[in-house]
Amino acid sequence: MKNGRIAVPSNGQGGLDGTRSGHFGHCEVFTFIDVENGEIKNISTLQNQEHVQGGCMVPVNLLAEHKVNALVVGGIGMRPLMGFRQVGIDVYHDSERAEIKPVVDDLIAGKLQIIANDQVCGGGGMNPA
Amino acid sequence: MIHILLVSSDKDFFTDLASNTEENVDLSISRASSGSNALSMISGNRFELVVSDESLSDMTGLEFMKKLVSTNPMINCAAVSSLSSEDFHAASEGLGILMQLPPCPDKTHAENLLQHLKHILSITNTAGGLN
Repeated sequence: MKNGRIAVPSNGQGGLDGTRSGHFGHCEVFTFIDVENGEIKNISTLQNQEHVQGGCMVPVNLLAEHKVNALVVGGIGMRPLMGFRQVGIDVYHDSERAEIKPVVDDLIAGKLQIIANDQVCGGGGMNPA
Repeated sequence: MIHILLVSSDKDFFTDLASNTEENVDLSISRASSGSNALSMISGNRFELVVSDESLSDMTGLEFMKKLVSTNPMINCAAVSSLSSEDFHAASEGLGILMQLPPCPDKTHAENLLQHLKHILSITNTAGGLN
């Protein structure tokens, strides 16, 4: 990824040195990483909104309104994934690492995979939104 | 105006929600008799909520929800199911269904559903600021 804004669901205060939240819809904050010419140019955070049953489109609209281009999740349900696709946000998957920075570095380097339909939550072991 | 689509082969399905239109002038209720009929209606019209019966003439309610979510994820949905809440959660995981309704939902369910829907619609359109 050479240019754009990456969002990472984060614990606590967030930030590049923080840790990722396993439940993107329930996360406390989103860490935003702005990338220009393959380099990190700016870090910011955005407070997540209230999570309610069936409110999958709340974070979708929130991130779309903040011009996010890519999202990295540990797990996601079918409905929010389809929502992100509809608003043009690419969803990447890494269910192994808790730290934000190495995952972001891999995304910028093109080493992360976009999540596939058969990797969504639903009868499996992933963490839903 | 909140547009709601009720999907059931029973023309009297969830009449308590439909009767709410008399009390809530901001509701518009439409009906579809099957899953495929509903998907066709959804492709050409705006709906904020789709409520499906447990069994439709051409698919189950949950099968319909999966088709709906894969093509129209922005639409909120509720579904009738006789499963326990735990089993329903497992069966519908990832579909983002805002409420499980019992067979033959009544006026109380209608009021709770509308209240929950209005809350979701209010926060869906509210974006926070960057720190």
